[in-house]
Amino acid sequence: MTDTAPQHNVVNQEISRRSFLKLGWGAFLGFLAASAGATLRFIFPNVLYEPPQTFKAGKPEEYPLGVSTRWTKEQRVWIVRVQDGIYVLWARCTHLGCTPNWFQAENRFRCPCHGSNYTPAGDVIAGPAPKPLYRCAVRLLPSGDLLVDKSVLEDRPGLRDKPQFFVKV
Amino acid sequence: MTPEELKKKVLDSQFWRSMFRGGAWKDTPRDRAQHILGNVWLHLHPGRVRKNSLRWNYTFGLGGLAFLLFLILTVTGVLLMFYYRPSVDLAYRDMKDLEYAVSVGAFLRAMHRWSAHAMVLIVILHMVRVFLTASYKTPREFNWMVGVVLLVLTLLLSFTGYLLPWDQLALWAVTVGTNMGAASPLLGSEGPFSIVSRSNDIRFVLLGGSAVGANTLIRFYVLHCVFVPVVAGALMIVHFWRIRKDTFSGPPITPQELPHDKVDTWPHLVVREYIGAIGCMIVISLWSLLQKAPLEEMANPTVTPNPSKAPWYFTGLQELLVYFDPWIAGVVLPTVIMIGLMAIPYLDPDKDKGVGRYSFRERPLAMTYFLFGVGMWFSLIFIGSFLRGPNWDIYWPWESWFIHKPPPPHTWSLPLGWGLAAVGGYFIIGMALPLLLKPEFEWQKALRNGFLVILGLAAVVRICTHLLWEQILWFVIFGYTFYLLGVLVPRRHLVNQSKVRYAISMVLVLLMLGVLMKMGVRLGFHIKYVLTLPQFQLNI
Repeated sequence: MTDTAPQHNVVNQEISRRSFLKLGWGAFLGFLAASAGATLRFIFPNVLYEPPQTFKAGKPEEYPLGVSTRWTKEQRVWIVRVQDGIYVLWARCTHLGCTPNWFQAENRFRCPCHGSNYTPAGDVIAGPAPKPLYRCAVRLLPSGDLLVDKSVLEDRPGLRDKPQFFVKV
Repeated sequence: MTPEELKKKVLDSQFWRSMFRGGAWKDTPRDRAQHILGNVWLHLHPGRVRKNSLRWNYTFGLGGLAFLLFLILTVTGVLLMFYYRPSVDLAYRDMKDLEYAVSVGAFLRAMHRWSAHAMVLIVILHMVRVFLTASYKTPREFNWMVGVVLLVLTLLLSFTGYLLPWDQLALWAVTVGTNMGAASPLLGSEGPFSIVSRSNDIRFVLLGGSAVGANTLIRFYVLHCVFVPVVAGALMIVHFWRIRKDTFSGPPITPQELPHDKVDTWPHLVVREYIGAIGCMIVISLWSLLQKAPLEEMANPTVTPNPSKAPWYFTGLQELLVYFDPWIAGVVLPTVIMIGLMAIPYLDPDKDKGVGRYSFRERPLAMTYFLFGVGMWFSLIFIGSFLRGPNWDIYWPWESWFIHKPPPPHTWSLPLGWGLAAVGGYFIIGMALPLLLKPEFEWQKALRNGFLVILGLAAVVRICTHLLWEQILWFVIFGYTFYLLGVLVPRRHLVNQSKVRYAISMVLVLLMLGVLMKMGVRLGFHIKYVLTLPQFQLNI
């Protein structure tokens, strides 16, 4: 018998046990990694059904000098009127997210969960909070109402005094 | 037919014998072993057990009671699920219904709540007992680690459970807890070296959104009712199986004692288990009849109760959070505590010593640090539970919460250079000090001389600076504690260890004492951060 079959080295090359197992395990591990990745992605929701973050806070004239707690229960913010304008503090402790209380006599915000204290400007004076209170974006509507946006926040001194976070009165 | 004959007839009937393997019951040792080994529920027991492990004051039955409480929690929890709907609008109403409209609802809810509290306590006590009798030593190191994970899962079960009533405690505890996730290094948006944002960090996954809401409730419901119990159940199987395979711990015995050392599990162990279970059921039932489960006002995402206190087993953590940044108190320290606990069996130099008995003298090193750590943890729990009032100020138990305390003084932080020197110096000098001093010394004399030196230092500090007497007192107390536990004990018991073992043990010791030292400088000197790098959100 003569060997008449043409030589197709590439096609006839035997798959070694080692390379077969390498491929098999590789595919299996790849499948596991992809499954883990897909599961991880699955637990991040794409659509949130959360309440809107903007609200109208009335006219600037309605706020006398000092800290106003008018919106604390409803919108979780304090409106602070200073000599030349108004800024809005988000009433969320930067430590672990509780709502601090305003104490007029002590001129401080004080948090009931771990005892952080803030000045009316939002700076930390005592307790464990690592950062100043956030300020919310605020602007004056043509109607003369204040529009507060709690989704735009800033806590860094300097940046927080920009016009976006401060309404001149 | 007399009752005796009837009993025999029943036990020998084809029906009975088809259910219970082992043939006619003749009450021989073989029968008793067969009764255990041939029964699926009982076969995790060995056929015979060592007498020592049956003494009530050896184990106090704590492990068994923890499992019983898990079973009570499963049964009461499944029953509560029939009435509870995990939605923001309905959850709190369903709690009220359970309290006032459902027959036995209030009792079942109380039993579920109090059993959960009891389980946390019993699991902690079980760990302490296992430690005190050195039951974690070879071959039981791995089972000790499984136990530590089960302790964490027990706490997680409680934590995920208390969002479900949707009351104020629920909302704020979970707000605080998930915000600690946001403080994690790397994977939290507010943690050091953060690589994620508010909308893809750990907190976002836990909450299923940006604030505690409907998504959070269903997530915690699934975690509480399915995920964590299944994981805990699987680990319990491993835990029990290893006890069975490694045998109950006990003191070593001589070959002469060996034949008399064991007794039949049936009835000796099983009867004790039943007695413990009945006693526990009676106590929990009576307690739940007399004491309703607390239910606060309905969750309000804008108003935090003042003060807002965690349940007792988390007030220690809550108190710790006062002194440290959340990433340390909420993430790093719990992780280090967990790893430190798991490492105990591998770091303990006193191999095989003190197994099966309560003996401080045989293993002073392990006992000193473990008891100190547990004592510290329960002191924090005590402070958080009983000494904190409105605005998280210190109130003595006899002081009225209606008269508010003056606000706390301003805090300050060390400049960067000083901070680096303080933290670096603490660890470098702390690591070196026990090695530099000579290993042979007289204990009593060292105690006295150390005290005199620290008093002398305090006098110098008092003369050279304007510190208050109160601050000098803090200096003496914390300085002497460090001298005792950070210098003398390691010098006596740790310096003879291998370098690696010494390094790991000493780092853990210094971390534990460091927690105390940081609390000291905050309480005494109002120092907020010893070391702070605001650009990386890294504060210590």
